[in-house]
Amino acid sequence: MIALPTIPYNTLVVAAGVAAVGFAAGVVGSLGVLRKRALVGDAAAHATLVGVAAAFLMTGRRDLPALLLGAFVAAVGSLGVLVLIRRVTRTRDDAATAIVLGVSFGLGITLVSGITARGIPGGAGLEQFLLGHTAALTASDAVLLAGVSAAAVLLLAIGLKEATLVAFDAAFAAASGWPVGMIDYALVTLVAVMVVVGLPAAGAVLVTALVVIPPVAARQWTDRVTTMLVLAGCFGLVAGLVGVGLSAAVPRLSTGPVVVLVASAIFVVSFFGSPSRGWLARWRRQRAVAQGWAEGRIIEAALHAMQASSSGYFTRQSIESRLGTAVAPGRSSTMASSRAWRGLLLRHAIEPAPASEASALANDSSQGISLWRLTEQGKAEAVERARRLALWGDVLAVASGDARAFLTIDLPPPEAVLDAARLHAIRAAAAASGS
Amino acid sequence: MALLVSEWGAMHAWAIATAAVVSAGCALVGTLLVVRRMSLVGDAISHAVLPGIVLAVLAGGRPGGVLVLVGAVAAGLLTVWLTQLLSTQGGLAEDAGTGVVFTTLFALGVVIVTAAASRIDLDPTCVLYGVLELVPFDTVEIAGVNVPRAMLTATVVFLLLASAAWLTWKTQVLTAFDPDAARAVGVPVGFVTTGLMAATALATVASFEAVGAILVVAMLVVPASAAELLVHRLHHMAFVAIALAVAGAVIGYMAAWYFNTSAAGMMAVVLGLEYLVAAVVAPDDGILSRVVRRLGLAWRVLCEDRLAAMWRAEEAAAIQPATASADAPASTTSQVRPRGFSQQLALRWLAFSGRIAAVNGGWKLLVQGREEAGVIVRSHRLWEAWLGRHADLPLDHLHPPAEWVEHHLGASVRNRIEADVGRQGSDPHGRTIPPESEVKAEVEA
Repeated sequence: MIALPTIPYNTLVVAAGVAAVGFAAGVVGSLGVLRKRALVGDAAAHATLVGVAAAFLMTGRRDLPALLLGAFVAAVGSLGVLVLIRRVTRTRDDAATAIVLGVSFGLGITLVSGITARGIPGGAGLEQFLLGHTAALTASDAVLLAGVSAAAVLLLAIGLKEATLVAFDAAFAAASGWPVGMIDYALVTLVAVMVVVGLPAAGAVLVTALVVIPPVAARQWTDRVTTMLVLAGCFGLVAGLVGVGLSAAVPRLSTGPVVVLVASAIFVVSFFGSPSRGWLARWRRQRAVAQGWAEGRIIEAALHAMQASSSGYFTRQSIESRLGTAVAPGRSSTMASSRAWRGLLLRHAIEPAPASEASALANDSSQGISLWRLTEQGKAEAVERARRLALWGDVLAVASGDARAFLTIDLPPPEAVLDAARLHAIRAAAAASGS
Repeated sequence: MALLVSEWGAMHAWAIATAAVVSAGCALVGTLLVVRRMSLVGDAISHAVLPGIVLAVLAGGRPGGVLVLVGAVAAGLLTVWLTQLLSTQGGLAEDAGTGVVFTTLFALGVVIVTAAASRIDLDPTCVLYGVLELVPFDTVEIAGVNVPRAMLTATVVFLLLASAAWLTWKTQVLTAFDPDAARAVGVPVGFVTTGLMAATALATVASFEAVGAILVVAMLVVPASAAELLVHRLHHMAFVAIALAVAGAVIGYMAAWYFNTSAAGMMAVVLGLEYLVAAVVAPDDGILSRVVRRLGLAWRVLCEDRLAAMWRAEEAAAIQPATASADAPASTTSQVRPRGFSQQLALRWLAFSGRIAAVNGGWKLLVQGREEAGVIVRSHRLWEAWLGRHADLPLDHLHPPAEWVEHHLGASVRNRIEADVGRQGSDPHGRTIPPESEVKAEVEA
């Protein structure tokens, strides 16, 4: 009990409640995102305002459970209207979503403004549902939010296998006899539930972010569904906690935008930094491939140069002029060349000529230009590369697409991917056509 | 007093005019968005222009000024570019990427508005649903008339959008409906699409003061979707969408004034009602016309089935005179005793139109009715014969399809089937196929 006494009990409970909402939204949203239904929740989210206002008009009090019940009815109703528009008109899905979203939000704004203009007591606070405002939540409200969230996660856990199946291969699920339509409705309803309980934290306009951004961020880190669910939940939890904290500390700041920005920050970090799918990791991998190619080109040229010269040495300038701009296509060639040269030196594929021999040869080479030679390892590497290139050349000239498909830029040994008999036939055919 | 009233009226007139021009611009852009299935891109852009507007205002731009327009367009294009980046570089699905980008940008805008609230006169709630009611109070003088600044911006933007649409209309149509063909004839499709995005951002920022950043999506998509239900050509759709948008603005503003509530919200609601009406009354596939068409078909089938049933009863009576000779009409009536209200109604209509007549408390066919009934039975039995010959179905499976198709065969099809199955004169059940009715055939020809 060192720092805790400074935080009021109520704030702690509210923070815990919002954290639970964030976690559940991340978990439920993950399947929505995987099922490519990321924006369905948005229409429902904007419609919740109608339900909040209507529930307030009916009960006359700003009582969170009643308002959220109204919001849920409105959310499900809006999804029903969406289905109806798809069934009975020729309006396309995207336009139907936009219509439901825009018109229901307009109706909500009309009701809320009407309530405010008439000065109905307590009505002014309804605007807090637009952008989220957790300061007014009580401990019992937070318990309600946490309870609903827990129930949503539990329901999803029960139906996880079916939901995953439908998300990844709906056609197969339907063919196997699963009620895909029912599972979809159940999933969308769960998303609507999360949108509703997310209202106090993120507001009608931004609550979609709560079910979209954490799952998308989590997707960057893993290819496993359960891992993604847990990660998305944790991201949502962090976003919720930070959002509540910041908006409590800064006056007039709504919770929703803060929650969203924290979640996006997590997404940006994931997008750039994730070790497998991250932008940085992919950039590194690409650069490694380009580097390997450039190094291969240099030792290839070096082998030719050594064979051509009497001394068995070469200069860097001679190699670079031999290669021209083709060291690494599409990059600054001197930079790529320097990097490749450094790489070769580091792994001891090339070495400078010993001082004694260099001075002996000094008269037939220009002053100040160092001489190099391939090490034994470098020579072996260059010979092997030349062999693979020649062999792949035959494969490309002769074989059909399936054999070509094994050739990648890091030049695998043909023996490793093609069976011996096949390779033999290809070489024979190439030899025959070459003669 | 009179002056006061007229001034008060002028205020409302300016607000209504602004709303109408703003909506018209949105409807024009929305038409292209809707047919190109980019409604949700429009939604995303309309949210995401917020940070562009706010930053431009912070940098010293006036709301509705050039700097703000540029900022909004930049933010709108940034949204599209970021979404594409996420999908090409991060492998994100389009909708997920959109969801990430526009919520983030909008949240950013709200946070900046909140943080800078003391320095700029933008308010988070105005961002959400606009302040159309306050538009007439911020005016500039043009040729001696005080014109609201928002109206000026909206008019300039609308003229800009309308002339761009006018000049590039053919390209827009081609790009919307057949992008591959457009590419093949050298249309820079990517550039046209970017232009549409920029136009969306412009329409949004022009509407910003009037209706805010979120209700714009209703102005963009709803009139265009309603127009799409009503007409089939793209330029008709644009004009109808603009008309619906203007009507929505005028009615919405007046309703909002009457009910004392938000004008922007009410405009969206009125547009929603217009869409509902369009969905119901659309001439080709509106709900009403489909119901009417189905009811008409059901009615025709009902009447024709009654006629055919009576024809069959007559035929049975003629084949088995022993049981029927005593009282032929009575036997006819017993077989066609109507069950239920709709059949009763059908019989009344048939009697009224001179096809059947009441006899002995039952009904009997008149000449015209017998002709028509004969054609129905002929269609039925020809179809059974054709199915029996070609479809290799068991005998008891021939009746249901024939029962359905008998109402849809024309004279030429009947004669072709007859030529195909041969004029053996009976169906697979061994019943006689009645000959073609001269009267009916002539009428159909």
